[in-house]
Amino acid sequence: MQKLGDFKLPPFFNYPPYFTLQPVRDTREKQIQLWKELILDYCKTQKIFIIGLEEEFPLFANPVIERSLTHEARETFLSALVSEGRAEWLDKGRRKCLILWHRIQDWADIIVNFVKDNAFEDGVLTVEEIRSGIESRGTELYGLDRIILMRALKLLEHKGKLAIFKGTSTDDEGVKFSI
Amino acid sequence: MRRRAGIGGLQTAAAARDQYRLLGENVAKIKTDLMKEQLATFRSQLEDFARKHKNDIRKNPAFRSQFHEMCAKVGVDPLASNKGFWAELLGIGDFYYELGVQIVEICLETRSHNGGLINLQELCTLLRQKRKTSREAVSEDDCLRAISKLKVLGSGFEVISVGKKKLVRSVPTELNKDHNEIIELAQGQGFVTVDEVERRLSWTSGRAIDALDILLDEGFAMIDDGHKDGKRRYWFPCVSSIASTVNTDA
Repeated sequence: MQKLGDFKLPPFFNYPPYFTLQPVRDTREKQIQLWKELILDYCKTQKIFIIGLEEEFPLFANPVIERSLTHEARETFLSALVSEGRAEWLDKGRRKCLILWHRIQDWADIIVNFVKDNAFEDGVLTVEEIRSGIESRGTELYGLDRIILMRALKLLEHKGKLAIFKGTSTDDEGVKFSI
Repeated sequence: MRRRAGIGGLQTAAAARDQYRLLGENVAKIKTDLMKEQLATFRSQLEDFARKHKNDIRKNPAFRSQFHEMCAKVGVDPLASNKGFWAELLGIGDFYYELGVQIVEICLETRSHNGGLINLQELCTLLRQKRKTSREAVSEDDCLRAISKLKVLGSGFEVISVGKKKLVRSVPTELNKDHNEIIELAQGQGFVTVDEVERRLSWTSGRAIDALDILLDEGFAMIDDGHKDGKRRYWFPCVSSIASTVNTDA
């Protein structure tokens, strides 16, 4: 089986027609489904948060069978993820896409658990500490994309579980939990 | 015999006819009895044989296939009824019904990929993967037998021969001769192009495109515009070996 680093590629990745958008509805739905799963799976294992449509991305081309996805196909697959809440376009031109292998709500839950595990229930952390501090090492939060983290924090703020404030001594924003 | 005149003559003739008929019936009865006896002997022999080689029949696919052949020759169908002696003796009915159910499952699982047309070899491979816990080996012959039992369901399960390969069709779509020829052609490389179909089968381009469009609509084919020669390729998952690795756990 073909691999990308330590990632096992699914068999369909070696089947040329999966790189051409299929005209027949049922076939196309199946095709989109397979690509959606592959993109989410790959991004999750490789900790990739943003896909640039015009940039090189290992899944967009398979040199072994000399096939690559057209721009239209890339946009179709990512749009399908967007419509399920598993991705978001970062710009109107749809050139950059945020991949949410966990939905924002799920990220928020992970943050809550992280806070509880480390007894920060009414403590203060900076945003940077959440995504790169010692406590977050080895958790899914480590290295989390800042855009996603902020979305999740805002969601929790909205629910009254924390307050985001601008720090005085550092440039970074602080988070006061009240879980 | 000279015909004699009068009532006496007629009576004699009638009596003679009765005698002949009686004799004929007796002979026929004796023959039938003899035949029945022979069949009974044969059946009991066959049963003895089956009992003796029960384990071989259950475990060895080649042996099983030969046993089936032998049964077919004498008009015994071990699969005919699950309640019958054969099923009790061999558990063979259960074996094939189980296979049948698993075949249906595989066909459903792979349908979105291959449109409901699957290579018999591939089906067997997937069947073996599915049954890896069970000890009995499964041959293509077993698959075919199980599929033939599925026909009673009227679900449109059918084995079709295309070129050298056997394909199992699990959707009601009928394939005509043109479609079969295209799929046969695709067995070479896994795909065909319109040009190739026209050239190899000496068809007009309209005929080739029509047939390919139908195969596409039915989900038996997928297009591939990505080759550098710019020619559209029509791939057939049912003949490509890559399809055999398609994830069936999904």
